[in-house]
Amino acid sequence: MILLQSTSRFLLQILQGRVQSPEKGVDLDCHSVEFGDVRYHIQVSMKKPQVMVLSASLPIPPPEATFHSGLPVGAIEAIKAAYGPIVQILDPPKDGYNLTMKLYLSKLPSNEEQRQALLVKIASVREVVLGAPLRMVLKNLASKTVAPDVDQLVALVHRPKESFFLVPQAEKVTVVYPMRFQDSIDIVLATSFLQEFVEARRTAALNNAPPCMWSPSPPLELKGAPAEALTANAGFVTFVIFPRHVEGKKLDRTVWSLLTFHAYVSYHVKCSEGFMHTRMRRRVESLIQALDRAKPDTEKSKKVVQGKSFKRLSLREARGS
Amino acid sequence: MANTLRLYLTCIRNTLEAAMCLQNFPCQEVERHNKPEVELKTSPELLLNPVLICRNEAEKCLIETSINSIRISMKVKQADELENILAKKFLRFLSMRAEAFQVLRRKPVQGYDISFLITNYHCEDMHKHKLIDFIVQFMEDIDKEISELKLSVNTRGRLVATEFLKQFI
Repeated sequence: MILLQSTSRFLLQILQGRVQSPEKGVDLDCHSVEFGDVRYHIQVSMKKPQVMVLSASLPIPPPEATFHSGLPVGAIEAIKAAYGPIVQILDPPKDGYNLTMKLYLSKLPSNEEQRQALLVKIASVREVVLGAPLRMVLKNLASKTVAPDVDQLVALVHRPKESFFLVPQAEKVTVVYPMRFQDSIDIVLATSFLQEFVEARRTAALNNAPPCMWSPSPPLELKGAPAEALTANAGFVTFVIFPRHVEGKKLDRTVWSLLTFHAYVSYHVKCSEGFMHTRMRRRVESLIQALDRAKPDTEKSKKVVQGKSFKRLSLREARGS
Repeated sequence: MANTLRLYLTCIRNTLEAAMCLQNFPCQEVERHNKPEVELKTSPELLLNPVLICRNEAEKCLIETSINSIRISMKVKQADELENILAKKFLRFLSMRAEAFQVLRRKPVQGYDISFLITNYHCEDMHKHKLIDFIVQFMEDIDKEISELKLSVNTRGRLVATEFLKQFI
């Protein structure tokens, strides 16, 4: 898996299991945590097997990216548009969660394909909720309508207490990510990965991809951003999104990839560390073999023993003999 | 480039061959002690002149000899930050497994990246020339491994970036 999937497998499997065998009268109460501090809680009670209660908790937003009543701007409208009548949003949400919604499984379409598509959509609730403001901005770009807050810096949360920034303009949207990592090894690996993004963009095959820049200091676009957002130990990445990147079906994919850019880089940094460990373990084995070659064979060793000087015995050896 | 490496390694090999003539030698100061003199440095008459072999400023090898033990310390090339981190990671990984290597020192000598300590017991347990083979191979392998690790990080980065950007086309 090179790219991150927008559907949560955990949610999808539970939903599918429920839909395929609805008569199973078992109570269900499951929790799950996903990358970027997104948590899910899913409940079905025996009394109402057709009603599923799904709660989601989102990463804590930094001060510059505010939530309206616990959700990103436009999230409620996005949920309603995406799911229609199956979903009822409960207000206020359950304690400790940002969003609680009731799913009426009886209202699912009877057509197998449509139903599957809707379940997948429900399982990617993260994309719908967190991506709502980003989707709005990109939609404006696609339809080339000038939003009222044009040329203003928009901050969107993507990790706990961290945000990335959008500069919407009439003919393009500039996306800036301050990249932060905790581990010193992660920082170095991520920096070299990010430089590869810039290099890869220069190849002819990716001529139409969004232009990509990396700089160790904050770019000019972040002039109005708060000071704590301007510190990033792995530099700043800038993508420029043009209308051709968000037309038609591409919009969904673009929203998701921009939303999870940091998670994507960090996931691959971890993967390559894992790979390095496998390699190093193998190398240690081959080196130990090389050392073993220096040891004489057992039958020959008798000769060697004669020439041996007395060795100071350790306590354990002394007791053994 | 490969040629200068071979010269460097041959020089180390010849020095080791000359230096590695160790004999059993009990401690002069404390009765019934038998310790590697190169570590303790109790009496100057038991120590020989250390030899420093340099390939360039970043890569060098220090060979310290005494009557019953020899200490080999090396500094590995670290051209940029990525190589620095990879070398640190890899050598730490090796040092943590020093038990399995017997001749590897758990901590490198100050100013160096990795050290070996060979005593007369090691020379009795193992063939001397093969032990030298091992040290030389070790040095060769570390260089190779670090450049391969670096290459693999870069290749992976390129692939990851290409796949990500492809989504927008």
